[in-house]
Amino acid sequence: MALLDYQTALGRLVRAPDGTDPLRSLRLDEAERSSIEGLQANAGYRFTVGVQRSWCVGRAERAGYLTLSILPEDLRRRLLDDWTEAGGGTSSFFAAEAEAFLDFIAGRLPHPSHELTACRFEQATLRANQQAIGFTPPGPDRLQAPRCALRRGRHAGLVAFHGEPHAIIEALTQHQALPPVSAAATAILFAPGLEGLWRVASSREAALWEKLTMPVRFTSLARDGYRRDDIAAMLRIGFVEFVTPIGDRA
Amino acid sequence: MDRARQTCASLPMVIHGVELSIGSAHGWNPAYLEMLDAFQAMWPFVWHSEHLGFQTIPGGDGASLEVGVPLPVPPTKEAADLIGGRAAAICRRYQPPFLLENPAYYISDLPCDREIGDDIGLINAIMDRSGCFLLLDLHNVFCNSLNHRIDPLAVIDRAPLDRVVEIHVAGGASRDGFWMDGHNSRVPEPVWELLEYTLSRAPRVGGVVFEMLDDFAVALGAKAIGEELRRAGEIWHRCRAS
Repeated sequence: MALLDYQTALGRLVRAPDGTDPLRSLRLDEAERSSIEGLQANAGYRFTVGVQRSWCVGRAERAGYLTLSILPEDLRRRLLDDWTEAGGGTSSFFAAEAEAFLDFIAGRLPHPSHELTACRFEQATLRANQQAIGFTPPGPDRLQAPRCALRRGRHAGLVAFHGEPHAIIEALTQHQALPPVSAAATAILFAPGLEGLWRVASSREAALWEKLTMPVRFTSLARDGYRRDDIAAMLRIGFVEFVTPIGDRA
Repeated sequence: MDRARQTCASLPMVIHGVELSIGSAHGWNPAYLEMLDAFQAMWPFVWHSEHLGFQTIPGGDGASLEVGVPLPVPPTKEAADLIGGRAAAICRRYQPPFLLENPAYYISDLPCDREIGDDIGLINAIMDRSGCFLLLDLHNVFCNSLNHRIDPLAVIDRAPLDRVVEIHVAGGASRDGFWMDGHNSRVPEPVWELLEYTLSRAPRVGGVVFEMLDDFAVALGAKAIGEELRRAGEIWHRCRAS
């Protein structure tokens, strides 16, 4: 049996023991097919599946530590099961695992809720922290280029807190009772170049974040009243970043 | 990195990787090698090691799919050629010695070629083809001996002991009829005996590592960890003196 076919079959069977047709598209003769299918009766294979699942759950638990710690046990267990059933938890790269798992959780939490805020807070903190060491702000000179465009910083974020942010963060991190969910939201800005990684966003910053869901030319932002100095300040902390126009790429 | 330098800059540095997937037939992980290049430039290491296994398979559209856990490579000539070639390439790429670690595995009856035989046969074939060295994990030998009913001393006798540069000891736990390589307990007595047996026969060993999961380190506590390290040290000095 070719090594590639054997590994593909075994890997598929370990990832998804109940998956459909794990031997699809593999070049196996009848004897090889029967040998692979016989694996499912092998106690060592079943044990390996259990080890794989526990590693995946462990990775997800570390990736969403804060958020999972405030969820009721049954919901926590269900989210972990659903995530690993869907093939999650296999990435050993923490940042990639955390980004994907926290997105997965966020899609399953009520809005607005402190649980969703915790999830986005954890994600934004990890994302900003990942870039914080060695973050080098770009020079503002490019703002003068006629085709200069900007987008959201890839390691920045804006998270809505439905209550007093410091009180919520303290309650989350100290495992204390959370305050009531308020209808009004305070936007918190996260950026890799910011001391402490986060602060309350001004309404102009929050509006800019919404505007930059797509890259926008600086000239357009200037027409909307954004001053060069304000944008330069946001570039310095990595809240926004330059986009290189396609025609200007090497 | 700064914190690591403050703690142990004066000590020799060795690298132990888990992400190379050196045994994956559809391709290994070049990003890991790039990371290793960068690390070597920042902080030269004395030797470096990886696990003998595979953990990626082909996904859709030519992408790689991570399995989530290292799986054993079947002891076949194709596997020996593939991994031997890759290990040789690594030996050429880096000056410091490259070591492969023998794995713990739970699946019995892996497909094999008669000329390779078993996991130790595969290790010997890879070393012959590449000139790389062995990281001998004695707890993995112990796990395999319990789970597959084989004699651990016979395994060690067949291993290329003249190529062992690093040894691992660890603990595990019994679960569902298997002894698991969990790194979650103190070193079992038979593993200490294997260390004594091996150290007196492996002339190149440069270090012994007690492995444990970080979660478990807190539960075990500094006193017990110190006792394990002291015991490893005593065996080391006794075997080196004789």
